[in-house]
Amino acid sequence: MSDKDSAGSATTVGGSSIVEVRTTARASFIPTIRAVASDLAARADFDLDAISDLRMAVDEACATLVDVAAPGSHLRCTFQVLPERIQVHAEVEATAGTTVSTDTFGWRVLQTLADEVAVQHLPGADGHATVGIVLDKRAGVPTR
Amino acid sequence: MTGTDPEYGHLVPLLEEYSALPADDPRREALRDQLVTGYLPIAQHIARRFAHRGEPLDDLVQVATVGLINAVDRFSPEKGSDFFSFAVPTISGEVRRHFRDQGWSMRVPRRLKDMHVSINGVVSELSQRLGRAPRPSEIAEQLGVPVADVLEGLEAAEAYRSSSLDEMLSSEQGSATVGELVGAADAELDRVDYRQALRPVLAELAPRERTIVMLRFFGNMTQTQIADQVGISQMHVSRLLAQTLDRLRNRLDPETRTG
Repeated sequence: MSDKDSAGSATTVGGSSIVEVRTTARASFIPTIRAVASDLAARADFDLDAISDLRMAVDEACATLVDVAAPGSHLRCTFQVLPERIQVHAEVEATAGTTVSTDTFGWRVLQTLADEVAVQHLPGADGHATVGIVLDKRAGVPTR
Repeated sequence: MTGTDPEYGHLVPLLEEYSALPADDPRREALRDQLVTGYLPIAQHIARRFAHRGEPLDDLVQVATVGLINAVDRFSPEKGSDFFSFAVPTISGEVRRHFRDQGWSMRVPRRLKDMHVSINGVVSELSQRLGRAPRPSEIAEQLGVPVADVLEGLEAAEAYRSSSLDEMLSSEQGSATVGELVGAADAELDRVDYRQALRPVLAELAPRERTIVMLRFFGNMTQTQIADQVGISQMHVSRLLAQTLDRLRNRLDPETRTG
């Protein structure tokens, strides 16, 4: 059973579609964002493990970013729904030099829950920078 | 606890007397009161086992007492079993029904609760057959309902805050395999840098929550595999894992978590 064989049988969205959620970078908005994540995954027919994994991964990524966000900045979370996978890009504004370290339990959680995960640092103007986490989650074991 | 427990031994002849009386005998009421009062500690004990699950203890004691009354009414000593082995499941059953009706953190229509129960009913069977967690489309096919209904039912599951009492009762942890798997996960934990910060926080968790976290993040197992090993449903593993992560996040020093 290969990925290519299964692609045709999936009843997911053809091509890609994008959903973007932007909130004040505050922990109280994370439940809203993770609800969007699990709803998108369920509608894309992810298996139950993958739906739950994505939900928790988004929760973890957003919590990590909110911790480093500059006061008053925004958390922007973009979901790209692709055939058999969802790519999530979450980012906040932070003071320059802020990092998300990857030798932590939180990072372990992200690595376990997502199929791929990476940190993105983009220097910005006025001593600010954009810190982001990109994660990719597959719909689960391919169906026959 | 057994029927010959000194605390309850004096009630045994009363039980026999009560069940032998015809339904309209005037002595029944006084006997019944005496029996219910006498056995009340059992109902209170069972209610306490389910405290801290989001329902007030007083309500649980009341519900358990209703279960006890049913048990007293329905018990027939001539069938040979002792009262405890009859009463405990009867009382637990009553509390279970209460949770089934009350255990929702927001008002969820009956239809969706039923759908949630139906979904839970087929998930483990499908997982066994497929060797992985099922997809909503597969659940819908199995139940013979539209996918949209399954999606609604899954959404309703997020509003469900208490696990079913069957799950709580059944899984006080423990097969040898789980122990071995946790041992292997523990060795993996030893290899990471932040173990010194994590260990004490993990030690604060209830044994089952700790097991689930270890197997998922250090044992490389999926939720469905963990559900199978620990003997609870995938949805229950999902809920426990999310709750536990949230707890760990609050307990771990931000320095440790985000650097």
